[in-house]
Amino acid sequence: MFNMRLTVAAAAFVALAATGIAQAQTGSIIIGASTPLTGGVAHFGQHARWGAELAVAEANAKGGALGRKIEIDFQDNRCNPAEGVKSVTQMLSEKKYAAIFDGLCSSVALAIMPLIERAGVPFIVANASATSIAERSGVGGNKWTFKVNPTDASMLDALVGWLDKEGKAANIAFLGEDTDFGRAGSSGLEAALKKRNQKLVMVDFFQKGTADFTPVLTKIKARKPALLALYAIDADFQNTIRQWHGLGGGVPLTGRVLVDQVPKEIMASGFLDGTTSVQPYDPSVDTPANKTFVEAFTKKYNVAPMLISFESYETINILIDAIRRSGNASPAAIRDALATTKYRSILGTELEFDANNLVHNNAIIFAIKGGKVVIIGMSKT
Amino acid sequence: MRPRGRSVDLNFYAQLLLNGIVIGVIYALIAMGLSLIFGVLEIVNFAHGEFYMLGAMCAYFLTVNWGFGYWPAVLIVTAVAISLGCVLYEALLGSLRGESFERSILLTLGLSMVLQNGAVFLFTTTPKMMATGLSYSNIIVGELRLPLSRLYALGLGLAAFAALYLTLYRTRVGKAMRGVAQNRDAALMVGIDPRAVSRLAVAIGIGLSGLAGAALAPVYAVHPLMGFSFVFKAFAIIIIGGLGNVSGAAIAAVMLGILESLVGGFLPLVMVDALAFISMIAVLLLRPQGLFGRGVRV
Repeated sequence: MFNMRLTVAAAAFVALAATGIAQAQTGSIIIGASTPLTGGVAHFGQHARWGAELAVAEANAKGGALGRKIEIDFQDNRCNPAEGVKSVTQMLSEKKYAAIFDGLCSSVALAIMPLIERAGVPFIVANASATSIAERSGVGGNKWTFKVNPTDASMLDALVGWLDKEGKAANIAFLGEDTDFGRAGSSGLEAALKKRNQKLVMVDFFQKGTADFTPVLTKIKARKPALLALYAIDADFQNTIRQWHGLGGGVPLTGRVLVDQVPKEIMASGFLDGTTSVQPYDPSVDTPANKTFVEAFTKKYNVAPMLISFESYETINILIDAIRRSGNASPAAIRDALATTKYRSILGTELEFDANNLVHNNAIIFAIKGGKVVIIGMSKT
Repeated sequence: MRPRGRSVDLNFYAQLLLNGIVIGVIYALIAMGLSLIFGVLEIVNFAHGEFYMLGAMCAYFLTVNWGFGYWPAVLIVTAVAISLGCVLYEALLGSLRGESFERSILLTLGLSMVLQNGAVFLFTTTPKMMATGLSYSNIIVGELRLPLSRLYALGLGLAAFAALYLTLYRTRVGKAMRGVAQNRDAALMVGIDPRAVSRLAVAIGIGLSGLAGAALAPVYAVHPLMGFSFVFKAFAIIIIGGLGNVSGAAIAAVMLGILESLVGGFLPLVMVDALAFISMIAVLLLRPQGLFGRGVRV
């Protein structure tokens, strides 16, 4: 009697375990994502989410990956490293995520990197631009982190190279947010200028969420630089631009200026003529794949994509491509597949990861001329 | 760091001073309401910044989406904020008294989160720029420049201070408000209705916050988190000025604005942000009742 009970219990256990294994192999492949859904850069977080979800929806419409549906779970990190660590720790403890996506803010991505390395789960960075992320990845130590967008250093080198050719690389002042993004911008510019025997004539940082910039802008105006390199995003960018205009700054901007977000009245006035900027993307890039992306994004969300949405879309597509090639969607197999990526960007270039697990797509150099934004060149990062 | 030449130097200092006065009056607009509510009810309103944000949001939608002019929008927003203040008092704050200090903190903090996240849900986090005719116009005198929108905010701030001062010190209602602030039980004994006076104080306080939002909507980017950066500075200001002392808060706000601007002209901007709190700590150590505190509130 006892033996019979034991046999039935063992059979039930085996059946349950088999069901579980079957579910694990046939259920959805889940990607975990930590991004700012609230807080000062939630607007960018929203675009990151939209871009990623569009890529997932398109992949699922084509059958998903390895015959399974793909899902992406978003958790909020408020662009705060502590919140980022909390959200990713929770995701990793659940052990159901095939890979972790982004962080958006450089400080958050840098805080997440040691966690995913310990857990042995691939981490794919779409938006965070700090150069140190790539420096610490691949041969730099962290084998699980892959960075798809260019580093600040590589983009700024391309921009400063262009400025130098035009004889405009002297007398540049810097104002940026006091985060890894702003600090990477400052050090990237310093390094690019140093190669050309130049240096920043003034450097200042501000706390994210600062509303009034008039004291520092008055100081910069009085210093009379030839260009002001601005590293600000979201509301900080809007406030800076409006106050710079109000003070009659009279100095064009440079750096990672969000030229597509300049208020149209300021743009049309010609106040920012002579401004140059470097970004990894612009919706107007004339390739068939980009046109299809812009159309699909605009149709789905009623707004045009921006840099962040593009980067998230392309990064998730690269990740899905790696999952499909991995054979079993296990974290280690996905990591190995990512390392051998050969992916055609919607900007037309062939992408693969280098020894630092970094992709080198083209950077686009913009200028404002006659109150309009024009693309003046593309440069390999 | 400073430009060369005496006349350029003078222009530089004058521009910093002008910026500082405007920033100070902007701080005062927000801090006065906070101080009034604390003075009469002994409640620290952590949701104060959110009413400022809602005022700016309303002004944005009234002007950009519904075609109202700037001045009608300011009037409508102020009236709505005053009404909202009455509702807030009756629905939430009326049941609290000075001895429920912890409850008042939790309640207003919770309200702040609900309002902020509600605004994120309803309006999204996209920063909005109110572009009216005055948004990009400037007054230029020699080398000095002042955007028209800031000049209007300055005028509204000064008018609000004058109106509040006259209400508090030249009317029977103001006298009643000061009476309740000084001794609630004694005020009740001489026939003042503390509940009605408190309701009025909250209505005026929230009304000032809404007015600040409407006045500053053309000056700063409008978004759900815009209240956060000002409200903690406003707390420091009302402590520097003397808790519950409305005039003290206004003077401290202007002093801080000028100090921040002048220091910001020479030191890194991140250090400027600490000035309010360094000043607050210094005042708490040297003169705990505040610069203008006389032990008497409002």
